[in-house]
Amino acid sequence: MSRIALLAALIYFIILAGVGTLNGAMVALALPLVLYLLAGLWRGPEEMRLTAERTISAERIAPGDSVTVDLKITNHGEALEQVLLHDPLPAFLKVIQGASSRLVDLPAHGSLSWSYTLQGRRGSHYFSEINAIAEDHLGLIVKRALLPTSGQLLVLPSISRVRHIAIQPRQTRVYSGVIPAHQGGMGIEFFGLREYQMGDSPHHINWRVSARQDGVIYSNEYEQERVADVGIVLDGRRRVNDFSGGRSIFEDSVLAAVAVSSSLLAEGNRVGLFIYGKRNKWTSPGYGKYQRERIMQDLALAETGETQNFKSLIIPRRLFPPNSQIILISPLGGGELNLLSQLRTRGFQLMVISPDPVSFEARALGDSPSVKLAARIARLQREVLLRELRHAGVQVVNWDVALPFEQAVRASLSRPPAFLRAIQRGRGAGQR
Amino acid sequence: MTRNFIYASISACAGALTYGLAANEYVSVSITVALLGIAWIVLFMRGLHRFSGLAFAVFVIISLVSLWADVSPVLALAGVSFSLLAWDLTRFHQRLQMTNSQQDARKMERAHFTRLALVIGLSLLGYFAVTRIHVTLTFGAAALLALLGIWGISALVYRLRSLE
Repeated sequence: MSRIALLAALIYFIILAGVGTLNGAMVALALPLVLYLLAGLWRGPEEMRLTAERTISAERIAPGDSVTVDLKITNHGEALEQVLLHDPLPAFLKVIQGASSRLVDLPAHGSLSWSYTLQGRRGSHYFSEINAIAEDHLGLIVKRALLPTSGQLLVLPSISRVRHIAIQPRQTRVYSGVIPAHQGGMGIEFFGLREYQMGDSPHHINWRVSARQDGVIYSNEYEQERVADVGIVLDGRRRVNDFSGGRSIFEDSVLAAVAVSSSLLAEGNRVGLFIYGKRNKWTSPGYGKYQRERIMQDLALAETGETQNFKSLIIPRRLFPPNSQIILISPLGGGELNLLSQLRTRGFQLMVISPDPVSFEARALGDSPSVKLAARIARLQREVLLRELRHAGVQVVNWDVALPFEQAVRASLSRPPAFLRAIQRGRGAGQR
Repeated sequence: MTRNFIYASISACAGALTYGLAANEYVSVSITVALLGIAWIVLFMRGLHRFSGLAFAVFVIISLVSLWADVSPVLALAGVSFSLLAWDLTRFHQRLQMTNSQQDARKMERAHFTRLALVIGLSLLGYFAVTRIHVTLTFGAAALLALLGIWGISALVYRLRSLE
């Protein structure tokens, strides 16, 4: 019921009750309510004719950096009393200085300028409009308007640097890089021996082996190093990322995605990103700084979602040919084993970087015996899952998020795991 | 400051009616009114502002009924005026919470209190003036005046709604 309707109903009731009982004092009780209504009529807000201008000191910031928003509201009409100007902000942005909402009087054809400073976590926000709500001083007459403005603020994810990620996809691209290509040619690492051919550098002749052979000269062959196709899949399913009390391990997954993509792009690889969360978002593969920027922007917008089924993950062949490298970043809540096995059978080389949800949750829940027991059971279940993944030929990195990413994964990512090195040795011997 | 005024208004409204009813030996009713006042304060403290309209209506009706119970018209007027204040300030308090500028809030509080003081002051003056005028009317004349009053209020409400 609106305020005016409530007042009117009460006034009618008082008057009718007063007349019905012929009690003048009772009718007189309606006087404060009538005067209250008249006061609203006396100084009600005029038609709102407002425009807004916005200036933002920076459009891209890192988490923890501050940005200043300057606003100028111009009133092109009559004076307005008690106008609430509200600049709506998303939850990830916090005002640290000044105010994003003002309750002011705007003089006729006057303007009001103010600024406030923001700080935020990862995310993106379009400053599309300002809400203006004008009322009379008693709040009886309300007028609303949306003042269009422009501006965007992108809070990019935190950057964590990993020096080198050792991946060994079965297939590489033609451009030279740092990924072993399982082919002899120009390189640094010894690959094998072959008969000397015209044009081989004398430095590459293996004199020791040649001396043992009769009339045949052998040259050393080195392993070619090339760039590779790498697809990063970021698992943003709410059921595996979000925990009670509004805590989420997803931010750690995003941080891992930033570190991995930055490192792989810096080494010249062709990197693409698939975010499997609130919105399924493909960042088509690309090279270099431009691609890094695209990935950072998409990661800034990544949010968890709960509608997706992980069984439906289809990796387009035109983006990632079979035998390329797929890196899944996921806390692994179950149901991934079949999917990853299918990807393995399609020839993808798989790596799983898994922020450990058990340690994450156990730390937040405290130290009671029941929590310890539950954590132990969950840890055992997780160990079984990780072991099954390893048996399926998936390289698994279990990351306790209490440790910085670069520190936690330095040992496990700087060189390929033993089983991959063994496979490579076997393949190299077979080729020879 | 607004919050304190709301507590004071609800207390004054409930207190005036409780005292008036208790003085006329309606003790159980006066206890009920006091409990209703406490309930209104608790609802406000818990942020359940949507009930303020209902509480306002209830206290206006209690003020009316208290006149039948021979409560002093001044106390009944206090009941209506303070419940009106509490209801208005609750809405204003909600509005102030929408701004995060303390400076704006203080300025608006001053302007709002001035406007309210004017309304309540004029109401009191009008009430005391009206209660001193004694006119004897037949029921028909009173009914005619009541209809005229209702028509005037309807026109005012129509005008206010058209401004929205």
